[in-house]
Amino acid sequence: MALSKAVPKIDYKKALEAASRGMIMIHDPAVLIKLILRIIVGRVHIAHAGMILHDPDRDRYVLNVSKGKIGARVPAGFARFDKNSPIIQVFLNKKIEPILRGKKAILAHDVHATIWKEGLLNGGVCDPEISLLLHDVRDEMELYDVSACVPAVYHRELMAVLLLGDKVEGGHFDQEELDFFSALASNAAMAIRNAQLFEKLKDHAEKKHDLFIRMTNTLGAAIEAKDEYTKGHSEGVTRYSVAIARYMADYMGYAFEEKFYEDLYIAGILHDIGKIGVPEMILNKPGRLTPEEYALIKRHPVDGVAILKDLPELEESIKGIRHHHERMDGSGYPDGLKGDEIPVIASIIAVADAFDAMTTQRPYRQPTSAEDAVAEIMRCVETQFHGDASRAIKGLLDSGLLA
Amino acid sequence: MSGHRKGRCMSKLLIVDDEIDIREFAKNFFKKRGVNVFTASGGGEAFEIAAQEHPDLILLDVRMEEMTGVEFLRKMREQGNHTKVIMVSGIEDEEIVEEAKGLGILGFIHKPLILGELQKVVMKELEGDPAVD
Repeated sequence: MALSKAVPKIDYKKALEAASRGMIMIHDPAVLIKLILRIIVGRVHIAHAGMILHDPDRDRYVLNVSKGKIGARVPAGFARFDKNSPIIQVFLNKKIEPILRGKKAILAHDVHATIWKEGLLNGGVCDPEISLLLHDVRDEMELYDVSACVPAVYHRELMAVLLLGDKVEGGHFDQEELDFFSALASNAAMAIRNAQLFEKLKDHAEKKHDLFIRMTNTLGAAIEAKDEYTKGHSEGVTRYSVAIARYMADYMGYAFEEKFYEDLYIAGILHDIGKIGVPEMILNKPGRLTPEEYALIKRHPVDGVAILKDLPELEESIKGIRHHHERMDGSGYPDGLKGDEIPVIASIIAVADAFDAMTTQRPYRQPTSAEDAVAEIMRCVETQFHGDASRAIKGLLDSGLLA
Repeated sequence: MSGHRKGRCMSKLLIVDDEIDIREFAKNFFKKRGVNVFTASGGGEAFEIAAQEHPDLILLDVRMEEMTGVEFLRKMREQGNHTKVIMVSGIEDEEIVEEAKGLGILGFIHKPLILGELQKVVMKELEGDPAVD
C-alpha cells in the first residue's frame, strides 16, 4: 500500500508507556489532560482534539482543554454540553455499549453502518431510540468538526469525553488507535476521580473538624516552617496515601469505608506533627546524624500521639501516626510491631511517606525518580513495607497515575 | 435538522472578540454554514468594518482589553448605527446586562455556550424566518 509508506506506523504500546511516564506526579487533572491531548494531536496527527469534563457542581460538561491549530480547535471554556446533549446522552445510555461492540468510541463515518447492522441483527429494524440518538450524536459531532468521540469512564461514571477531529493524513481511525485513545481517556478519568475525591475529603475534613483542622494545619505549617525541606511533604504524603487506599479498594478487594479515607487524610496531614519537638538544627542538618540526634528524631511518632491523645475522634488517625515507622519484619519503631500487627492505615502512610521523601529534594541528596523510588519500595517489600500497599503504588506508577 | 444550508445566504456577520482562538473558530464555523464572515480583534477595528461592510449582525464579546463590548456598543449607537447585536459574555454581570439591553441588543449568550444554540440564534437572524426542512 502506497499510503502506509508515507505515514510511519506508531508503536502504540510504547507511546502509551511513554505517555504514562509523563503523567507521573501530575496532581492537576487539567495538566494531565493537556498532556494527553498534546500526545494525541502530536503523535497521531489529528487536526484538533478537545476534552469535555464533567463539572459535578453544575452537573454539566464543559470543553476545558483543547489542542490543534487555531481555527480548528474548539476554544477552551467556549462550549458546554448539558446532560441532555446527544454526545453525553449516548454514553449514559445502557443500550449503547453492546452496540459499539468493543470499538470504545463513536465514529461519525460509522454511524449509518452501525444503525444498519443493528437493524439486521434485530430482524430488520434498529431500536428507534438508538437510531435517533446516534443520528443526533452525528449532527452534534458535525457542529464541532469531530470524527470520533471516546468516553472516559471510571466506575460507570462518565467523567469526560474525548473529542477528536480528522486525521491530518486522511483515512479513518483504526481499532489500535481507538484502543490507545481509550486507554489515555481511562487514565484521565481515574486521575480526575482521584483529584475530586481528594478535594472532597479535604473539604469534608475541614468542615467537620473546622476549628480542629485549622489548629492542626497551623501546627503542620509550624513543622514545615522549621524544616524547609519538608515543605509540602504532609500534603504529598496525604495525596499518595489516599491514592494508594483507593487503588487497594478498586483492585485488591479491600473494603474501606468513607470514614477510613477521612482518618487516613488526617493521619497523613499530621503524621509528622511530633517533629515539632525536634530542634531545627537536627531537622535541617546536612550531614550524618549522631546516634543521640537520631534517637530524638525517632521520638516523633510517639510525641505526635502525645499531642493528639485527648481527641477521641482521632483514634484511628492516631494509630496511623504512631505506627508509620514500623516495619513488616518487626525492626521498626516505636513498638516493633510485625506484619499484620501493624494497622493498615499506618502501612499505607509508610509507603506514601517513603515515596514522597525519596522523590523530593533533601539537604543531603538529589531527588530520586518515581520509577527508582517505587523499585526501591518493591525491593523492601515484606521486610519493610506492606505487600499490597507497595503493589498499589507500583500499580499507580504503571498506569501513570501517581496523581 | 442540522441547519446546515451551504450558500443559501451570503449574509454578513461581524465577529468582535479579542481572543484569536474564539474569533477564528467562530469564523470557520459560520463560513462553513454559508455566512460571509468578518472579524475584528477590538472596538477600533470593528468600527471600520461596520462602517465599510454594513454587517447584518454583530457577535460582540463583552470583555475586551482595548474597549469593552458595552463601550463599543454605546459609541456605535451614538453614531446612529443600529446594526443588530448579540452579546457573548463569560460573566453574569447584572449591570452590564441592563446597560446593554438599554442600548438595544437582541440578546445575551453566556460562555460556556451550547454551540447548537449559538448556531440557531445567529442563523435565524441572518436567514430571516428559518425554513424548517
